[in-house]
Amino acid sequence: MIALEGLSKAYPLSGRRQRPILQDVSLTLPDANIAILGRNGQGKSTLLRMIAGIEPPDRGRIRCTGSVSWPIGFRGSFHRQLSGAENVRFVARIYRQNTEYVTAFVRDFAELGPFFDQPVKAYSTGMVGRLAFGLSMAIAFRIYLVDEVLGAGDSHFQHKCRAAFRARADQARLVMVSHSMPMLREFCDAALVIDNGTLTFFPDLEEGIARYEQLNAPSRPQAAAVSRQSQPDLPT
Amino acid sequence: MLAAMDSQGRVIFAILLREARVRHGRSHLGYGWAVIEPVALILFLTLVFSQLRSSGISGYDFALFFATGVLPFNLFRTSSQYASGALEANRPLFHYPPVQPVDAVLARVLLESATALLVMGLVFGAQIAWLRAPPPAHPLQLLAVLGLAATLAFGVAMCLATAREWLPSLGHLYGVLMGPAFLLSGIFFSLHAMPEGARDMLVWNPLIHIVEGFRSGYLAGYRAPELDLAYLAWFAGGSVVLGLALTLTFGRKAS
Repeated sequence: MIALEGLSKAYPLSGRRQRPILQDVSLTLPDANIAILGRNGQGKSTLLRMIAGIEPPDRGRIRCTGSVSWPIGFRGSFHRQLSGAENVRFVARIYRQNTEYVTAFVRDFAELGPFFDQPVKAYSTGMVGRLAFGLSMAIAFRIYLVDEVLGAGDSHFQHKCRAAFRARADQARLVMVSHSMPMLREFCDAALVIDNGTLTFFPDLEEGIARYEQLNAPSRPQAAAVSRQSQPDLPT
Repeated sequence: MLAAMDSQGRVIFAILLREARVRHGRSHLGYGWAVIEPVALILFLTLVFSQLRSSGISGYDFALFFATGVLPFNLFRTSSQYASGALEANRPLFHYPPVQPVDAVLARVLLESATALLVMGLVFGAQIAWLRAPPPAHPLQLLAVLGLAATLAFGVAMCLATAREWLPSLGHLYGVLMGPAFLLSGIFFSLHAMPEGARDMLVWNPLIHIVEGFRSGYLAGYRAPELDLAYLAWFAGGSVVLGLALTLTFGRKAS
């Protein structure tokens, strides 16, 4: 469960102007897999970062029951001079996990072979992604925060990531930012639409998607209904 | 409260291990540089001064006099300088919620201070073994002074690290400032031997109290009438309060 209490956040713009992201939002989110929907620049990722606790709100607070992951999909947290194994051990330590278990899990899951013990600077982008995703699966979080990507690498590894995620669907919940409707439909059952400083919760994902598509086509009010029937399913 | 301190301690220790692996990673001599640099400086000062004057300073052997000045000063200088880059260098780590910016600064101060202590052990051990130097006269005072030096380094580093988010060139400016600070911190003179006018100015420099405090803790009978450890303690405490306020408020801002 995630409770937002009187939450306000604004981005500073040049000078003294600010762009509001959220204005005094109070909302209790139920125990569900939630998609965060909104147009570009409305603050989806910022909201996710606030839930993670790495971006402080201007006012109000967020309470979560259960452990919350870092925003998954982020790849820049590995030290390039350290090996994959050393980076994994670092994260295991800060999350108070058994370092040996976590290292063994990622070694097996990420399929990096001998590269696992090489400095991360020798990795390809796909390999870094595999390391990052394997690491996020090695720690049993209650709530996984996903920013855009769930999974990494080629289609074989993508399937493996999704399977790993579904395997723990009964213990873990997901809060996910994505523009990919097939991905959201696969994993989420509810939606949170962020627009113009307000946050609206839809217990039914499809209602949330309909609202989001309506926002995307403000000049054509009937477009929402059309797109809902045809469901183009293209990531934007 | 205890649980929170325990998990924060683990985070700091994890960062410390990670920093230790990459601190001297690129050079072949690695950790050796931490010893070579101050030893070379002490040797250089000893050679130059023993050409200029026949006997030591204030009756103390040159090598010991300079070691008791260079090493405590270096503990402060290297710790504060290295730790002031902690936010910039560890920015990606702040994407992990358990990692607080303060932890990154503290881990670097602890790592550099521990290295400086190790170097002190080596240098004084060697002087005791081969140069018949005396062991420290008041070890507890030495520890107290080094603790204050590390605390001051922590406070200064937090202020600098946060300020560097807006003014990156402050890092260079601080490095430049350490030049005059080296000259004015009593490393190659004794405060009580200075003319009165100079003394009245120099006592305001908190770093001179680190050097004088360390010397009067090591050297039996060292005269340091102007030494004011309370002044140093207030300065160190004040810098930590200001640094904490800045880092807790702005530490994550630029991430």
